[in-house]
Amino acid sequence: MAAVKIVNFVKRFGEVTAVNNLNLEIYEGEIFGLLGPNGSGKSTTLLTIATVYKPTSGDIYVFEHSVSREGDTVRKFVGIAFQEPKAMWVDTPYELLLWHAMIVGYTSHEAKNVVKETMERLNLWEHRKKQFYQLSGGTRKKLEIAKVMIQRPRLAIFDEPTAQVDVITKHALWDVVREMRDNGSTVIVATNDMFEAEKICERIAIMYRGELRTLGSVKELKDQVPGGDVVEVSFEGDREEAKDALLKLDGIGRYMLGNDKIVAYLNKGEERAAEIVSALMSAGIKVKRIMVQEPTLDDVFFYFTGARLGEG
Amino acid sequence: MEVRDQVRGCLLIAYRDLLRFWKFKHWLFSQIVMNLADVVIFALVFNNIVNRQYIPDYVKFMSTGVLAVSVFASSFSIAREVGAEIRREVVQYLLTLPTSRNAVIAGRIIGGTLRGLIYQTAFIALNLAVVGIPSPKQSVIILYTSFMLAAAMSALAIAITTSTRDFNLQATFRALTYYMLFFFSNVFYPREVLALRFPGALATIVTHTPISLAAEVYRWSFGYSEYINPTALYELTLWAFTLLVTASLLYRRNISGR
Repeated sequence: MAAVKIVNFVKRFGEVTAVNNLNLEIYEGEIFGLLGPNGSGKSTTLLTIATVYKPTSGDIYVFEHSVSREGDTVRKFVGIAFQEPKAMWVDTPYELLLWHAMIVGYTSHEAKNVVKETMERLNLWEHRKKQFYQLSGGTRKKLEIAKVMIQRPRLAIFDEPTAQVDVITKHALWDVVREMRDNGSTVIVATNDMFEAEKICERIAIMYRGELRTLGSVKELKDQVPGGDVVEVSFEGDREEAKDALLKLDGIGRYMLGNDKIVAYLNKGEERAAEIVSALMSAGIKVKRIMVQEPTLDDVFFYFTGARLGEG
Repeated sequence: MEVRDQVRGCLLIAYRDLLRFWKFKHWLFSQIVMNLADVVIFALVFNNIVNRQYIPDYVKFMSTGVLAVSVFASSFSIAREVGAEIRREVVQYLLTLPTSRNAVIAGRIIGGTLRGLIYQTAFIALNLAVVGIPSPKQSVIILYTSFMLAAAMSALAIAITTSTRDFNLQATFRALTYYMLFFFSNVFYPREVLALRFPGALATIVTHTPISLAAEVYRWSFGYSEYINPTALYELTLWAFTLLVTASLLYRRNISGR
């Protein structure tokens, strides 16, 4: 059974189309990444899954229940950590989490225990009596994550969970996400951090300007990028001759030329490394080092969206 | 969703608003002082100025009037937080909780109502000391009146404040409604004086607004006046239900219509 099935989903705010005809399925028990820059429609999609927004057309089904018609049922399954933590300035972390624990079904006694345990796990206990406005951005983020940890929903949604947090906390939060999946939750992580998506997500959908551009596992997506392997050759010799020798080979797509280095994008880079070395040596170029790398998720993103650096 | 879950959700939402109520204790204190100042300054100063033919004891008259204002003002106060939650999108959090929209709406209105009733306690004590002791039956009527007024005012204030996300508009709408209801009432002047100052129809309308009706009930219940409009409680009930239903529907549309 699909944990989430999105069918022809369109969401408009006035004249602005935030999401346009989105179709995808998220499988039960996976960590699914929704990847895209700000304004790509990720948060709108997540907020509709969580029943905050209603679809303009189409529908979203959470464990086969429609968000349009069965919102009360859908909310029983869903827990969300918002991109911007939601609290009033006078609230304290302990009060917020205690109340949250009770509203999601714990008794008062159980709530106290689970809140203490969760706050200690996330190093929030020392901040429990501070007012919300006194908390750092990272602590506020952890507070949002703590809500979902306490709730243990069947569908856990994390919207930009590690934005504004330090490296140590980032790794700890990734562990939390994996742990939730291991304990039976389906997890959706929205992020614009390619490294994060690659690190924790099993499948990824790339959204751009409200539309789905591609969907698959990290490996599948990388394999779809033509000229996707990166071959970096350090050399001694004339750079123009090195370039000419390289371009005589078939299947060289893009390349970047430095004074003593050339970077080429091509398919099956490992298999063709020897051919490249041979071509350069035949042209009198001394090869000092050769490295073959997989494309990064950044390359995948730019390929599928057609976006350019600096357009953000 | 089971009824039990809905009731639990509703009560927890009301509990959340009550917890917040205590956090604004300094604001609360200043509000109480302001309302008490109405009694002390206005009533004591004007007691010997006003025409005793119309108002035999202005202190007692104002004390009972301020009792209506107090429940009205404090119930209205929940709208400040509801408005801030709309602006800061905290309301999105409430909308994702495993409870129904009806529970959220009812919980907030109950929260506002309870805040109104708690706030009013100080002024009830004042009226007991200054005006008189009501009979058991009158005490029940006082409680009923306060509950109806507080519920109606909370619902109205919440509906108004959620109609826009713009802070300036929120504040303007709230203030306009507040002052319309406050000034077009018999809190400061009795029906006879209003009839002298306002054109006929308007004076009649003013005496049938929720604040005026509540003030009239309080004046009779605490023994300030012997006369009460026999339909005052029914009218107040009708006002309360009309405002509750209309405001609840508006609030629902405002928070979940996107």
